[in-house]
Amino acid sequence: MSKIRRFFQHENAGLLFALPACIYMIVFVGYPILSNIMLSLQDVTVMNLSRGEKHFIGLANYMKLFKDGVFLKSMSNTLVFTVSCLVFQFLIGFALALFLNRNFRFAKAVRGLLMIPWMIPMTVTALVFKLLFATDIGVVNYILHSMHLITKNVEWLTSSKTAMLVVIIANVWIGIPFNTILLSTGLTTIPTELYESAAIDGANSRQSFFRITLPLLRPTIESVLVLGFIYTFKVYDLVYVMTSGGPVNSTHLLSTYSYKQSFELFNYSMGSAVANVLLLILLLVGIIYLRITLQGEEDM
Amino acid sequence: MGEEKKITGRKNVILCAISVLVLCILLFPLFWTLITSLKTEKEIFQYPPTFYPHVLNTKSYAAQVETGDFNMFKSFANSFLISLGAMLIAVVLAVPASYAIAKYRFRGRKIMLLFFLVTQMLPVSVLLTPMFIMFKGMHVYNTWWSAIFADATIGIPFSVLILKNYFASIPKDLEEAAYLDGCSRFGAFMRILVPVAKPGIVVCAVFSFLYAWGDLAYGMTFILDQQKRPITAGIFNFMGQYGTRWSYLSAFAIVTIIPVALVFIFMQKYIIAGMTNGAVKG
Repeated sequence: MSKIRRFFQHENAGLLFALPACIYMIVFVGYPILSNIMLSLQDVTVMNLSRGEKHFIGLANYMKLFKDGVFLKSMSNTLVFTVSCLVFQFLIGFALALFLNRNFRFAKAVRGLLMIPWMIPMTVTALVFKLLFATDIGVVNYILHSMHLITKNVEWLTSSKTAMLVVIIANVWIGIPFNTILLSTGLTTIPTELYESAAIDGANSRQSFFRITLPLLRPTIESVLVLGFIYTFKVYDLVYVMTSGGPVNSTHLLSTYSYKQSFELFNYSMGSAVANVLLLILLLVGIIYLRITLQGEEDM
Repeated sequence: MGEEKKITGRKNVILCAISVLVLCILLFPLFWTLITSLKTEKEIFQYPPTFYPHVLNTKSYAAQVETGDFNMFKSFANSFLISLGAMLIAVVLAVPASYAIAKYRFRGRKIMLLFFLVTQMLPVSVLLTPMFIMFKGMHVYNTWWSAIFADATIGIPFSVLILKNYFASIPKDLEEAAYLDGCSRFGAFMRILVPVAKPGIVVCAVFSFLYAWGDLAYGMTFILDQQKRPITAGIFNFMGQYGTRWSYLSAFAIVTIIPVALVFIFMQKYIIAGMTNGAVKG
């Protein structure tokens, strides 16, 4: 008994507590990632999956990808989608955070209710925005009509010119609460005395925004943007349900294209090659995120 | 941490009015879905559209229990089971792991932390294909287990990273007092630390549940039988088959939101804590 007790006192006993979670993650995440890399270097399709005859073909899948027009389109789509979403959700989220950090009666309640869009399953959000932007019965077309901004119903999701815009709007809607909450938490850590003394020194609100708020909020802004990038770059459900990548591939992202290769065309190896490109880009940005968080860890 | 002086008088009224307006605009999509689910199919196609149901129609909700086509409540139960399973796995594994990372200084602790941080940001797309092949080999393909196993991989890293902060913030004295009273380290963990970290554990449980509840990719890819699929996959199917039955579709949407709404109403405080802790500090 005392042996067991002594073991638990020892620092390495920590490993025992941590091990189950680690093993689980290695089996269900670590191993799949490695096998995904292997898979992308083979030629596995639905034809040879069950027979187990797979051949190592090196980087051939990746070579094929970079000549594939749809893949290149998905790349640029993913970039456009991510950057536009980040910009708009950040600007709107920041404006709302500044507004809701004023100490008026409803501020707290409204900040809370604002979170709802963030918590809803993406499949539902996709459905909601399909309903709003439907061509014939969509309320967006109706509102634009009654404001005399359009004369004919716009085919939002069935036209390759506008589909991406609608997908971006839907994702910004999800992203706003996330930005607002994190930024407004960051704002509350700035001491009000700073603003008071700046006001005594004759600073106007613009000056104190650029000289106090922005510099002090920088760490929060950095992590909001980096996390926003990570979340947005890998979005899958929303786009898959809204457009499945169409019309004419105009909304295909790396995530949806990977899915299409694996589970619609059954080219498993091609699907994992696309996913690996997505992962590689994500990890490059992820390094910034890791640096920020691990830096905080040093203080612990 | 200072707080601005309370704004009063006319300014307060104006700011409140603006905030309500902003809220109405942002939540309009959900309001519109709710009223669409309560309209008749005829009224939905009416022009100009009505901004509240002139004829109240609750058939879209009721019809789903009766017709065998796509049973909304069956899918709801599937989702519930899958999310519950994923939540249990995540909490049971993450609580001891996060405690170890916060309170023990063992070798490999940093690498472990890095591992959880990386797994937290992985895209579903990377895991779908290899998991699909793996689950086929494990013979859990097309069962609830496949979705449960996959969904738990979202909850675990999130929970570890949040709870680690909770355990780290519990003062050493509390633990040491327990040792003096004759508790072993394991005893102190179970009897002192776990109860104190309860708010954090609740956050993790709630988020692990919600992540699984919102999942489409895993449930849709690993489970083929409509009878076993989660509600998100059910909605997606239904959209393909009855693309314009908006009264039904919006009724599904509303039913799917119910657990989220309940969690929101009862646990708002916890959720904000989870969101800010988890994301900013990691």
